[in-house]
Amino acid sequence: MSEESINNKENQMKGTSLNKCLTECEKGEEVIVIRVNAGRNAKTRLANLGVVPGVKITKTKNAPFKGPLEIIVKGSSLVIGRGLASKIIVKCNEACLT
Amino acid sequence: MSYHSPHNKSRNVINFKDTINIALAGNPNVGKSVIFNQLTGLSQTIGNWPGKTVERMEGHLAFLGYHFNIVDLPGIYSLSTFSLEEIVSREYVISKKVDIIINVIDATNLERNLFFTFQLLELKVPMILAINQMDILRKRNIDLDFKELERIFKLPVLPVVAIHGTGVHQLLEEAIELVVYRHPHKHYKKRRSIESKHHSHHYYRVEHVHERSKSEEVIKKSFSFPDLNQVTSFGKEVELKIESLSKMIKSFQRNLSSYNYPLRFLAIKLLERDSEIIKIFSDNEEGKEIIEVSHTYREELEDIHGEDINTIISSEIYSNIKKIIDLILITKIKKNKKRRTLADFIDHLTTHSIFGYIILIAVLFGIYFSTFSIGDFIAGLLDDALIVWSDFIYTSFGEDNVWVKVFWDGGVGGLFGAIGGVLVYVIPFFFIIEILQDSGYLPRAAFLMDRIMHSLGVHGKTIIPMILGFGCNVAACAGCRIMETEREKKISIALTSLVPCAATMTIVLGLVGRYLGFYWILILFLINFSVIFIVGRILNKTLPGQCTELIMEMHEYRLPNYVVIFKQTWVRSKEFIFKAMPIMLILGIILEILLIFNALEPVNVILSPVTVLWLGLPAITGVFLIYGILRKELSLVLLSILANSLNVSLLELLTPIQMVVFSLVTMLYVPCFATIIILAKQTSWKFAIQISLLEIFMALLVGGIINFGFQIFISL
Repeated sequence: MSEESINNKENQMKGTSLNKCLTECEKGEEVIVIRVNAGRNAKTRLANLGVVPGVKITKTKNAPFKGPLEIIVKGSSLVIGRGLASKIIVKCNEACLT
Repeated sequence: MSYHSPHNKSRNVINFKDTINIALAGNPNVGKSVIFNQLTGLSQTIGNWPGKTVERMEGHLAFLGYHFNIVDLPGIYSLSTFSLEEIVSREYVISKKVDIIINVIDATNLERNLFFTFQLLELKVPMILAINQMDILRKRNIDLDFKELERIFKLPVLPVVAIHGTGVHQLLEEAIELVVYRHPHKHYKKRRSIESKHHSHHYYRVEHVHERSKSEEVIKKSFSFPDLNQVTSFGKEVELKIESLSKMIKSFQRNLSSYNYPLRFLAIKLLERDSEIIKIFSDNEEGKEIIEVSHTYREELEDIHGEDINTIISSEIYSNIKKIIDLILITKIKKNKKRRTLADFIDHLTTHSIFGYIILIAVLFGIYFSTFSIGDFIAGLLDDALIVWSDFIYTSFGEDNVWVKVFWDGGVGGLFGAIGGVLVYVIPFFFIIEILQDSGYLPRAAFLMDRIMHSLGVHGKTIIPMILGFGCNVAACAGCRIMETEREKKISIALTSLVPCAATMTIVLGLVGRYLGFYWILILFLINFSVIFIVGRILNKTLPGQCTELIMEMHEYRLPNYVVIFKQTWVRSKEFIFKAMPIMLILGIILEILLIFNALEPVNVILSPVTVLWLGLPAITGVFLIYGILRKELSLVLLSILANSLNVSLLELLTPIQMVVFSLVTMLYVPCFATIIILAKQTSWKFAIQISLLEIFMALLVGGIINFGFQIFISL
């Protein structure tokens, strides 16, 4: 499997559709996780807490000074450092498009 | 007992155990510790897991003629090897010391809680599910189908409301049922009939009498533990790989007899590239072959799914959970909008970009003032008592009696020093920490401070022990165990030990605040925080490894549970009294012996190049600084005693510059002895000594710079 081809695909998708990283979301926006581009440890931890591709999350808070942000995933609130959040690729929930 | 082979050993056999070992497992903040406290009361011991810096809570109780040992495992989200807590829990559960697991589940957060349940299921240890906070769920007009839950998991599932103690002891009854009679089903039937009669009741009423003679009817029924594969099975591709790996491991098994992991668990963990499990296999050729195969399998799976293995497996578990939840959730009235509660409002305020920081500062002052004022009041009473008793002892035995000096001044004085100087601050402080922790404020502080803490090489969670450090470094350093990696633990401990504690503040207030004014206090604080910042930067650069990102759950605010708070305060204080105080007592005696032989006079002389030449302090302060290690505010107390005996005020004894330098050095130079002990226990003596040396160096550096800076400034 080539990591590159996936990244390319993703970039293409990013250009054409509404994919963005979690940090770019508005407060209160509900989005669907597409992919987590983090290292193995962080990815596993997030997956264990329910942040897996396809899951709906809502961004609820932004800490000041480019700090971490808070999301609601599966009914519980989770704080994620900004560096990690920028590696979480999400897309707009269909509901918010209409 | 063995769960793995129920058929050849346990059928038709009653297990006449009278001790039942229970492990309480679950996510953080699900009410595990509340249940633990409800069950065990004050008979708890806190220790560390052997060789690990993870706290081990154990308690005992007698119930229905059985003796229960209950271990409260650390709150975790999964059984991987990300943190020490997870490794410790996994190894303990599998160690055969556990008869049964009670998995505590937060009803209001079923999906994520069941994820951990699924992981526990793979360990194939008998288990009871305790669904906590059912009252809150029912208030939201949601109920759970417990019958269905038991059918799905083939395990006892009980509703509990931990804070009221409802259903807590039924857990033990169920444990007896499972461990001793090895038969959960009888119990279910009985309960179900009761349930259907009292349908309006929320909680099952189990009027179950335990008599061993009853068990005869149990024997007749064969009993087997559930076939878990139905619940926990993954998608077809993954299952095929697991099966094939399990077969390979089975033929390899002779080497694994010392480990009790089920085959399937091993196979899954090999696929997940679990470092601990790989270690088990990598010590011979055959094992290495299995590892190689697992690598190929993993790559194949990752190719099919286009995701890494942990994400695949987690997704599959979560989709299984989703199916189960659809089956068991009973929603009475559809209610989509959640009302804004007071808790939400407080949450909004405490994470606000302006008010949040104001509240954070207010909390810091609150911790400091309450710890200090309560502690100071009691310390005053104790000191008065000591003086009265000292007079009595001196008049009856003579003041110059060597034994009086050693045992009264040294031993009892040291003991009172420990009680009056540390314990009176430590106990109220533990109390305040428990309130802050139980209410849920501390994660909000971590949320606000994460960005700033990153520049010191740690993430926001470090602020939690640092806040606690304003009250007492001893407890705060022990609190650094919440950090995930060893590197972060070390940096956090180092930073926390530099935070000015309540005792240090007495010196600053009593010396600088009293004689020089409030602005000087601010300057000293500023210097202290700069030093914290610099030490953080140094450690960030020198310690190997990288800063990890913050991933933290922020649970809702709730009213602290007083049962837990009082019990935890006592248990923690007890630990301090029996572990740190004896050492302080011995140290007091040693210091007094040194004083008798005038052995400290040379100390002044030895230290004088540093104290007199570099810091510009009077030579006598050398001894005071040594005493300050034992009990930080002692250095000020001794200084005022000296001033009294010379009939001068402190202002005549020390120049303003000397006061600033003296206060600053005591603030920074080394953590107090109790802190050093905790530091060593949390990490190692080597690191404790390194940190102490680093801090001494920083204190001397800063002290010297200020001393010479002022002298140059004045001479200009």
